[in-house]
Amino acid sequence: MAYQVTVQPLGVSFEVEDDQTLLDAALRSGIYLPHACCHGLCATCKVQVVDGEIEHGAASPFALMDVERDEGKCLACCATPVSDLVIEADVDEDADARSIPLRDFSGTVQEVFDLSPTIKGVRIAVDGGGMDFQAGQYVNVDLPGLEHPRAFSLASPPADANLLELNVRLVHGGKGTTYIHKDLKAGDPIRVSGPLGRFFVRKSDRQPVIFMAGGSGLSSPKAMIQDMLETDGDDRRITLIYGARNRAELYYHDLFVGLTERFSNFTYVPALSEPTEACNWEGFTGFVHDAAKAHFDNDFRDHKAYLCGPPVMVEACIRTLMQGRLFERDIYTERFVTAADGNKAVARSPLFKKI
Amino acid sequence: MEKTTATPPKKLGLKEKYALMTRGLGWEPTYRGADELYDQIKFEGIKIHDWSKWEDPFRLTMESYWKYQAEKERKLYAIIDAFEQNNGHLNVSDGRYVNTLKLFLTGITPAEYGAHRLFAMLGRQFPGVGAAIACQMQAIDELRHVQTQVHTISQYNKFFSGMSEWRHMTDRVWYMSVPKSFFEDAMTAGPFEQMIAISFSLEYLLTNLVFMPFMSAAAYNGDMATVTFGFSSQSDEARHMTLGLECIKFVLEQDPANVPIVQRYLDKWFWRGYRLLSLVSMMLDYMLPKKVMSWKEAWEIYFVQNGGSLFNDLSRYGIRMPKYWEQTVASADRLSHETWNTFYNFAGAAAFHSWAPSDEDMAWLSEKYPDTFDQHYRPRFEWYREQEAQGKRFYNNSLPMLCQTCQIPLNASEPDDPTKTAYREVEHEGNKYHFCSDGCRDIFCHEPEKYVQAWLPANQVLQGNCFEPGVDPEAPGFDAAAELFKYYRLTPGQDNGDYRGSKDEANWLKWKGLAPADAAEAA
Repeated sequence: MAYQVTVQPLGVSFEVEDDQTLLDAALRSGIYLPHACCHGLCATCKVQVVDGEIEHGAASPFALMDVERDEGKCLACCATPVSDLVIEADVDEDADARSIPLRDFSGTVQEVFDLSPTIKGVRIAVDGGGMDFQAGQYVNVDLPGLEHPRAFSLASPPADANLLELNVRLVHGGKGTTYIHKDLKAGDPIRVSGPLGRFFVRKSDRQPVIFMAGGSGLSSPKAMIQDMLETDGDDRRITLIYGARNRAELYYHDLFVGLTERFSNFTYVPALSEPTEACNWEGFTGFVHDAAKAHFDNDFRDHKAYLCGPPVMVEACIRTLMQGRLFERDIYTERFVTAADGNKAVARSPLFKKI
Repeated sequence: MEKTTATPPKKLGLKEKYALMTRGLGWEPTYRGADELYDQIKFEGIKIHDWSKWEDPFRLTMESYWKYQAEKERKLYAIIDAFEQNNGHLNVSDGRYVNTLKLFLTGITPAEYGAHRLFAMLGRQFPGVGAAIACQMQAIDELRHVQTQVHTISQYNKFFSGMSEWRHMTDRVWYMSVPKSFFEDAMTAGPFEQMIAISFSLEYLLTNLVFMPFMSAAAYNGDMATVTFGFSSQSDEARHMTLGLECIKFVLEQDPANVPIVQRYLDKWFWRGYRLLSLVSMMLDYMLPKKVMSWKEAWEIYFVQNGGSLFNDLSRYGIRMPKYWEQTVASADRLSHETWNTFYNFAGAAAFHSWAPSDEDMAWLSEKYPDTFDQHYRPRFEWYREQEAQGKRFYNNSLPMLCQTCQIPLNASEPDDPTKTAYREVEHEGNKYHFCSDGCRDIFCHEPEKYVQAWLPANQVLQGNCFEPGVDPEAPGFDAAAELFKYYRLTPGQDNGDYRGSKDEANWLKWKGLAPADAAEAA
């Protein structure tokens, strides 16, 4: 049977299957625990068991001392739970993270509409009191005939708790997105679970904010920007750099132009990578990271940056930000990974923890 | 089922707890200026604007540090004692195996002592408290490793030749100058270069090449004392590697002007480390009776793949792969053969044994090195064996030309031509200096004033500096080799020469109750 593990001081929980290690389960649930060798020798993943019982597994006697075993420490990369657990790990608590329990919601598709030639908007009316979430988070959607749910960021701000909006790009050969584009229609019952993810604005940090979005990766930043401007009345400088292939793919363009007129602290920088003559484009031509570099004159110091989009775009933006002197502690990312992206992922070193 | 109702009081994170506990333990100097106190921190041109951005990744108090290390020591020595009482040395795969240990223990132990000194100096030099404490702890770790290795030497020294004078040999014997000069080069550099050299390049980028294959090899060859030492120090290495990563990130993020300086340090210390590891290459391919992986395989996994993903991440800062890394890949199927050939040649002046590979060894080498072994190296080793069969084991009695930078004999072939030895030379202030490679030449050219001072063992012999006091090289009947061995404290016919026919081999056969022919089969 699966056990529930709660991580202090974060307060987040994850499930561990039989014979699965704490570290493996945590990482697969999107919870970062420090780790290095992954086979019980280096002790980087040492955690304190506050409540519950574990098996130590193959932890080396030199990596996990007897005194530490007596104190209830274990190595997350080797330990397996034999009861529900509360562990204390060396992870940073995020002052801006709200601990909102994951819940299942039933709802009805209210509308499926075209945002661009490849992207559909889906509005879902959820039953009951609506979903509490932080702008930027995502939900898992159950679709008929699919074994696993599909993850989509919420494009609507938390103020609209009862009406959730998703932006769905058609992935070539993707079963879930094909179903949404071809078969899903208003009136269909639908089940979603959420909120999920650690992508949200660190509002307690007062530095100006840069959003960088590509394609349907606009959904989270849209919710985050609307939440900051319209709900919070946040007056810090907020810049959105948003890239699409051509003008037809640049959806919600008018909405952001409208926001710049209503809020003087908001700047909108759209960029097209392959504009055609039909686009009549007078804005920036090129990729998101190039647009950002030009707009900020290659100096991103003293900002917080939030990146959302396909992995290639996110990586290019991280590089640009770092060359412009903004580093890991001020960069937050949400990668829109499809099954195809997973196959060509480059192996990473432990140099960076979250970007 | 609902589990809890009452909300527990909010807990502090470990980072916050540590910050509160250590709050105010660092201080700003008042009656002397910081520049005077930390007098070496600026001359390299590395700009640090804010030491508080150094995130202490360990958050280890001295109290828990002592507690952990004491327990590690108890466990390690319990196993070394058991090894000793059970005559563990008889369980290694073959007597030849001990020669890898001789080279490792006598070469690395003084190097670790060098690392101890280096980190003690760094702990004194860094103005940041997190960095200073991490360096001080590592200084103590290194001293612990030295001690455990000395105890291991002391165990093996009871049964095998060549280890009794290791401390004395460190400063004199030719190949010992390779690790020695490596650490002395690092120790005499600025504090940031020291960190990049040892914490990053050696501990992070290259240490797995020593530890992983070497510890697997020890286990595979029945040497449980070394395996246990490996586990014991690997638990420290994780901390050392984290320090290397934290250091390079910190320096690169502090100022864009630091990037080209760090790149130069990476270029230099990658190359220095690679040359040093040529000793590991021959251990893997030639010295282990039971082999675990080839040098080429190890380099592919630990440098090309793991190092490649690290440099891919570092490229976000504008750092590129270390200069000449392509040459290390091009030479990966030649390095071990060329190095072992050198030690076969100069076995007369080494404190461990070398030998020509057996038929079985050569079959393995052909399989692992299909593009080079049969074509370039097998004929040479077969010739050595023929000579040996005729009772004329080949010893090279000349003195090799050494590289001014890495101090390794000029034995490596051109990166693009396996049949041609690589020679590089540079004129500096009227003198000619020789190098094994483009990498070593470039290192010299950046700081010639430093490397002209190198104490090159072969050159020192020729200058008459490697004989005991009072020896007159001009006296009739002067025997240079005999006098050199006295200076080395090397007992000829016991510590040196071929393994076949050595005292080590004779003892091994006696202990195991084998005849020489059985030994050849058992090996």
